[in-house]
Parts: sequence; structure tokens; C-alpha cells
Amino acid sequence: MSAAVMGAPKVPRLRLPQGREALLLITLAVLVAGIGMFSHGAFWSRINLDNLFVSSAITLIPAIGMTVVILTGGIDVSTGSMLGLTAAIGGSCFAAGWSLAATVPVFLLAGAGLGLVNAVLIIKGKIPPVIATLGTLSIYRMIVFIVLGSNWITQIPPVLTRVFVVDHVLWLPVVALIALGFVIVASLYLRYFRWGRHVYALGNNEEAARLAGIRPERIKLAAYVMLGLLTGFAALLTLGQSPMVQTSTGSGFVLQVIAAVVLGGTSLSGGRGTMAGTLLGTLVVQVVDDGIVLLHIQPFWNGVALGVIILAAIGLSSRRDAGGM
Amino acid sequence: MHASGFDRTRPLLLAAMAVLALAGFAIGHPDILSGANFDSMAVFGVEIGMIALGQTLVISGGDSGIDLSVGAIAGLAQVVLGRLLHADVAWPLAVAVTLGAGLGLGAINALAVTWLRIAPIIATLATLFGYAGLALVLSGGTNIDLTQQSSWFLALGQGRVLGLPFQLIALYLPLLAMFAFLQHGTGYGRALYLTGTNDRAAALAGLRVGRLRGAAYVLCGLTATIAGIVGAARLGTARPDAGMNDNLISIAIVVLGGTGIFGGTGSVVGTALATVVIAIVDYGLSYNDFNPIYQAGVIGVILIGVILVENPVLAWRARRFK
Repeated sequence: MSAAVMGAPKVPRLRLPQGREALLLITLAVLVAGIGMFSHGAFWSRINLDNLFVSSAITLIPAIGMTVVILTGGIDVSTGSMLGLTAAIGGSCFAAGWSLAATVPVFLLAGAGLGLVNAVLIIKGKIPPVIATLGTLSIYRMIVFIVLGSNWITQIPPVLTRVFVVDHVLWLPVVALIALGFVIVASLYLRYFRWGRHVYALGNNEEAARLAGIRPERIKLAAYVMLGLLTGFAALLTLGQSPMVQTSTGSGFVLQVIAAVVLGGTSLSGGRGTMAGTLLGTLVVQVVDDGIVLLHIQPFWNGVALGVIILAAIGLSSRRDAGGM
Repeated sequence: MHASGFDRTRPLLLAAMAVLALAGFAIGHPDILSGANFDSMAVFGVEIGMIALGQTLVISGGDSGIDLSVGAIAGLAQVVLGRLLHADVAWPLAVAVTLGAGLGLGAINALAVTWLRIAPIIATLATLFGYAGLALVLSGGTNIDLTQQSSWFLALGQGRVLGLPFQLIALYLPLLAMFAFLQHGTGYGRALYLTGTNDRAAALAGLRVGRLRGAAYVLCGLTATIAGIVGAARLGTARPDAGMNDNLISIAIVVLGGTGIFGGTGSVVGTALATVVIAIVDYGLSYNDFNPIYQAGVIGVILIGVILVENPVLAWRARRFK
């Protein structure tokens, strides 16, 4: 039964993202070549590449969760506030003298809990995802303020920075390897496991998926909670990258994550998109960010560049395959 | 469904909420019930209220219609206006050019949604990036001082008419009347409702669904621009980040005002009443020295709370009238 449902959407799903992925690879190559040349080699310096990989990993990890959420036809715009709140809660534990081993689960549980709140509002409360998470975006940020007051938390254990960011395995910072591992696992899971296939079926046609015996509520719940969990982990990594929590930690972060996912070809109407696309989308977003710094362009151009890239990339592909109205 | 889709119990509910909110703040600070404070509430409410008028049209047009870029448009409009005024362009011309630019920004949203067929959330998130970035680029990231400009210009945000704020009497109320007429008294309004209720039926009936929705985004860009201009005149400053929370607040107002988030229902009249409630809440919080982060948080709670209460009620009514 399940195979029959999955059979139909398979062919177009696999063909289109390949075109997108090729396009992204070319874009990435052009960007890297251009920035490499005009930055007089600064791009290829060890320190810049390390920074690029660490930032990419921190965006990529929640982007994996966001890809699944968007595949189910949803969205979560509260991820940045969630990262800030998780960092504030975990950071408070560090400040209270908790050990790293005791605090890591706090990060993960806090993230998963906030994801669960979003999931319940969307699934049980029947609030459209963008509206529910726009609400929690401001609520979570308010709680960050309540937790931190006007203080900064700086008592972050240095071991975080050493293990995740400074140490290298196979020429890559450890976070980058972890992120790559997550992408591979998520990609295989989506492609070869039953629940993974159900995510696509759900995004393609929720009613048909329901009739085929899939429970959309469970998959959506798992998707939002997983995004929260990954965001909690990203909060831990963020503190490894810059060991400080303040009330603005994570603001603006969600825009990068969503940009990476939609640039990677995941369609907001659900059911189409791949982890490989998200990986490439993340790299494009981060290389643009890096290039603007290296080429001494006013950092304000960053938003303009991202906005234009998103509109162009999605606009071109959605016009090509738009059916009906 | 009633043609206007307007829920008649909503005004009573909103009036009760306004009174309750006022009473709540008055317990902490009785002097909030003064003429000067009501005046300040009106001044605040007018700007976000205008944006909410445009947002009402966008949301009621259906197809997950939403404009997240309204705040960025308001900020960019302020910066464009500020740059023009500093280039010694006469203020009426500068205002006119800014309004034109605002129409253009709304038109970009409209094209992204209807011609490029990008989902409204993503399209307006992308333009939010773009417009906010442009505002920073054009301003160099700093505020532009406008206090030395013509007093006629500053009167747009500081003037008085009949003892009341100029922008309330001369800008907001006429705009509200125009939008109410547009929505309830013209073919465009009826066509937009039909599009929001069932776009396939609307298309089959020969309506140009894309153009109807596109026009809503253009009008929304226009109201955000007017709000930006009024804000710049009120504070005598053009700020690139002027409209930071405007998307959240305007959407909260629209939802509170009874416009269904799935399109096809609601009225700018409900939006106007909800603006009063939000203006009281927002002003009351800042009057009690709460950080703006709390204002956004409380409005987030209201937004979610309203829908959580409303959804079961709507489901109950649907069962009852079946």
C-alpha cells in the first residue's frame, strides 16, 4: 500500500532538485572563484575557511530540521528566538556552576521543549505555522529578557570552544564534521526509511497521505520537536563559537536558516526538497556573508544580496513548474 | 456567508477588551486616564493602524496571504524621505516621491507573489531582508535628523486639527473610510472576498485572481509608506529600523479584528477597533516602563490567544448551523 502511494510523486521529485543542485554548485563555484580572486587569497586562508565551516555548520544543523518542517508544508520563524532562549537557559546553568555533562542535556531538552510548544500550537491549536511561530518568536524573546535581565552570561566553559571549534579531524573543525554527519543521516533517513518517505507523502498531499494510513499529526509533531532539538544543539555550538549570551543572541538567525533551506530547493508548498540542496543552500548563504566581509563591502548589503538571491532562485524555479493558478 | 464576512459580536468583544485593558493599567497608574495619554495612544495607534488596514486586505485575499515586509517598507520609506529632504528637495515633492517608491515596493511584493508565484511568507521574508538592507545601505546605518525641516512637513506627525492629532483626523480616518468603502462598497472588495474564500471559483467566474491579490500587496505597501512618513515627521528622525515589530503587531491587530487567517472574511472596521485595543496595551506597557521586548511578547500572547479561543468557537458555530 505504502509503495503505491510513494511511487507516483517519486520521479518529478528526484529530477527537479538535481537541476537545482547543479545550479547551486555552479553559483557556489562562481562565488568562491570570484571572492578568492578579489580577496587576494584571504578567502583561502586557514582561519577564514575554518570560520566559514563553523558558521555554516551552526546554520546547517537547524536547517536540517527546518527542511523537514518545510517538507511537511509548515514553517518555523521562531528558531532564532528559540536559539537565544536555549542559550540563555543553558548559559544560566553554566553560570550556576553546572558541569558540561549536566548542562548539555539541558540545551537539548530546552530546545525540544520549545519545539514541542510550537508543535502543539500548530497541530492542536490549529494555528497556521507562520502565525503561531511569529507569536512564539516574540514570546521566547521576551522570556530571554526575563531570564537574563540586562546581564550578559560569559561563564561559558572554554572546553566547548576547544572541542567543537578549535580541534580538527580530517582538516575540518569538529562541528563541521558533525553537521556533515547529520546531513548524511537525515538524507538517508528521508530517502530509505518509512517515516522519511511519509514526510514527502504528507507534504505532497496531506489528505491522500491520511487516507493511506499515515498520521500527519505525528510526523509534524516529530518535525517541530526535532527542529527544536537541533536548534538547542546549535545554541551549544554558538556558545563554542562566541562564548557569551546576551538578549540579542540568535536574532536574525532564522532568516539565514530559512534562506538556506528555500535556496536549497525545498518548496514551501511541501513535498519537495533534499538535504543535499539544504547543504548547498547553507554554503551559498555563508559564502555570500563571508565574501561581503572579505571584500570590505558594507555589511548592510548582506540582506539585500540574500533577498535578491532568494527571489531570483525560487522565482525562476516556481515559474517554471507552476501548475494551475 | 454574509457578504462582508463581518462578525457582529466582534465590536462588543473588542470594546470590552479595550475597557478591561484600560482598567487594568489604571489600577497600577490611575493617571493613565488623562487626555494627554489618550492623545499619545492615538498617535501611536495611527501609524500601526494604517499598516493594519493594508495587512487586512492582504490576509483577506487568501492563499496564505501575509506581508512580513511592512516594517521594512516603513523604515526604507523613512530613509528615502530623509535622503531626499537632505538633498534639499521640497518636502511636498519628497513626500510624493516617497509615496511612489512605497507603491513600487508593494508592487515588487505583488509581482513576487502573483507573477513569480513564490509563497507569500517566503516572498515577503525575502523582501524584508532586501528592503531592510537597502534602508541600512541608504542611511549608512544611522538615523537621519529631520528636526530642521519645514514645520509644514513636521506637522504631518505633530500638527493638531480641532484639538486632535493631525494624522488621526486628516490621514487615518479618511484612509479608514476609503478602505472600508473599497472593501464593502466596490466590486474590487467583493471580488477580493470571493478570491479569499475560493480562488478557483473566483477564477472560473472570470476574476483576475492574481491582479486582485497583487493590488492588495500594493495598497499594503502604500499604507506602510504613509505610516513611515508620519512616523518620521512625528519624531523628526528617519530611522532605517523604524518598523522592527510592525509585521507582528499589524498581523495581531488584523487577527484580533476578526479577519480570518484563511482569507475571505473580516473587515477593516474590525481592524480599526482592534487597533484601539492594541494601542492601549502597547501604550499601557510602555507607560509602566516595560521594555519594548515585553510589548512584543504580550502582543505575541494576544495573537496566539485570540486564535486559540476563536478556532473552537468557529468550529462550534459551524456545527450548530449545519
